[in-house]
Amino acid sequence: MIPELLINILITTVPLMLIFATLFAFTTWLERKALARIQNRIGPNKVGIPCTRIGLFGLGQPAADGIKMIFKENIVPRGADRLFHLLAPILALIPAMLVLCFLPLDFPWVNEDSVKAYLLDGAVIFFFAITGLNTLAVFMAGWASRNKYSLLGGMRAVAQMVSYEIPLVLSAVIVVMMVGSLNAAEIAGVQMRENWFVFSPWGFAAFVIFFIAALAETNRSPFDLPEAESEIIAGYFTEYSGFKFALFFLGEYIAMFAISGLAVTLFLGGGDGPGVTLDQGLPTEAFPGLAVIWFLMKIFALIAMMIWLRGTLPRLRVDQLMGFAWKFMLPLSILNILVAGFAWHAERLGNTYITVTTWVISLAILYGAASGLNQLNRGKVRPREYKYAE
Amino acid sequence: MNEVIAFWILSAVAVLGALVAVRKRNLIHGVFALLVFFAGLSGLFLLLLAEFIAAVQVLVYIGAVGILLLFAIMLTERVAGDDDRRMTSRGWLWGLVAAAAVFVLLLLPLSPVQQLSMPKAQDPSEFLTQISDPGSDGKFGTEEYPKFGKDDRKPVEQLGRKLMDPYVVTLEVLALLLTAALIGAVTAAQSVRMPKEEDSPE
Repeated sequence: MIPELLINILITTVPLMLIFATLFAFTTWLERKALARIQNRIGPNKVGIPCTRIGLFGLGQPAADGIKMIFKENIVPRGADRLFHLLAPILALIPAMLVLCFLPLDFPWVNEDSVKAYLLDGAVIFFFAITGLNTLAVFMAGWASRNKYSLLGGMRAVAQMVSYEIPLVLSAVIVVMMVGSLNAAEIAGVQMRENWFVFSPWGFAAFVIFFIAALAETNRSPFDLPEAESEIIAGYFTEYSGFKFALFFLGEYIAMFAISGLAVTLFLGGGDGPGVTLDQGLPTEAFPGLAVIWFLMKIFALIAMMIWLRGTLPRLRVDQLMGFAWKFMLPLSILNILVAGFAWHAERLGNTYITVTTWVISLAILYGAASGLNQLNRGKVRPREYKYAE
Repeated sequence: MNEVIAFWILSAVAVLGALVAVRKRNLIHGVFALLVFFAGLSGLFLLLLAEFIAAVQVLVYIGAVGILLLFAIMLTERVAGDDDRRMTSRGWLWGLVAAAAVFVLLLLPLSPVQQLSMPKAQDPSEFLTQISDPGSDGKFGTEEYPKFGKDDRKPVEQLGRKLMDPYVVTLEVLALLLTAALIGAVTAAQSVRMPKEEDSPE
């Protein structure tokens, strides 16, 4: 006999883990394929159905990778801290998996009694709090490996994540301010009723800042300095192989899904889309699960953007990275909060002319501030100094 | 029943984390054990339905203070993080006495003796009884003492309103203090570095 509470918890959490782990496998294939096409290659195309010549565009590649990872030898450096070396990949995965339950995904099989964490009053705060734990895992991995490159990567990761968490949270503050709630379901619901936040000057600016900071937060290119292979081998997971490495990999992708999911919730209307309508304040779907499908499709749009950026942009330097966070994104996001505050009051007046004027003025202010900051920072970045090469 | 099981598990995690944090000689291990303690504490807050405090516990203590401690260890030149030097522990008796004193002081308001001797009107727990006892006077369910029903329990919103309305001056003063500390830290850090940059040739 299983307690009823346990069933109510598992019915929402287990499908989340299974769905996103499957999507992870698919995304690794998608990323390799897309990157290959950007670089004028074909990418994985051999692994398909076993024992046949059917390639299926290499869709079997994730399975082959998985099998390889599991059977690869687990190597721990001699001087390493064995316990922390083991714990770090686990600690990297758990927070990423945990925050998935704060996304407002209403699965068709979820009923009244099931435990829904996104209905927590402070779901968004919880999301940010738990995402921050990823930093510790990266540092733990870097420190436990007893390798200078690992430690450098770990310290870089900590500095980067601490810096970019501020614009990330400050841009989310705008949405929280506009809705007046930290409840993820309520934030998505308000956007179904009114308008997606990305379709307003302040919302769009916040979305762009959020997306850039999210790239840095998940160590994605062009912010992949913690694992910069041209400088510090593979950064914090230099000394990881086999399944532990796979866990890091999984954690990174799940974190990508989670932070994209939060971006969808905050700015892109959650599960809103054609076929999902509001009926007396409650979302009604054309068929069960349509909202979830919209939600996942929006996540995939953001993931595709991340892959595209990875194939396009070169990696930043450390000073450029820090300068961008503190001198550009931070002032802009603080100004954006002020603009959004005035816009909130202007919209409460209910006058169309005032609303339109507010939009134009805030658009001008934000554009002016962005280009002004860009102008101010230009030339401040020193040219590269070569110490050991000429 | 579920709450009791959760309470004992979380308490065990917290106490074990605290013990390891104190006993470990390896500093990094100690910091991570301390973080485990914070996590257990956050779970206990969650069990008390204090969601916001639980989230802030994770955000501030594990996220910020933990990173700060790690940075401090990495930046301290003479501590490599993993040396097993013995620390001198004279005066542990005084520490024990102080800890016991704090513990007793914390428990005092809960003791039955104290509750009996305290005049009824000044009882600090009166507020709690007012909330849990509907209809004792007209205040229950009004703006000042909102109803703690299952449907309209919004502690985060209440906290926000309290911070923005009666306690806004306190909040601003605290913010000013933190900003001053931040500027002070930057100044202190810069005054050490400045001469170095001037000395370096070009």
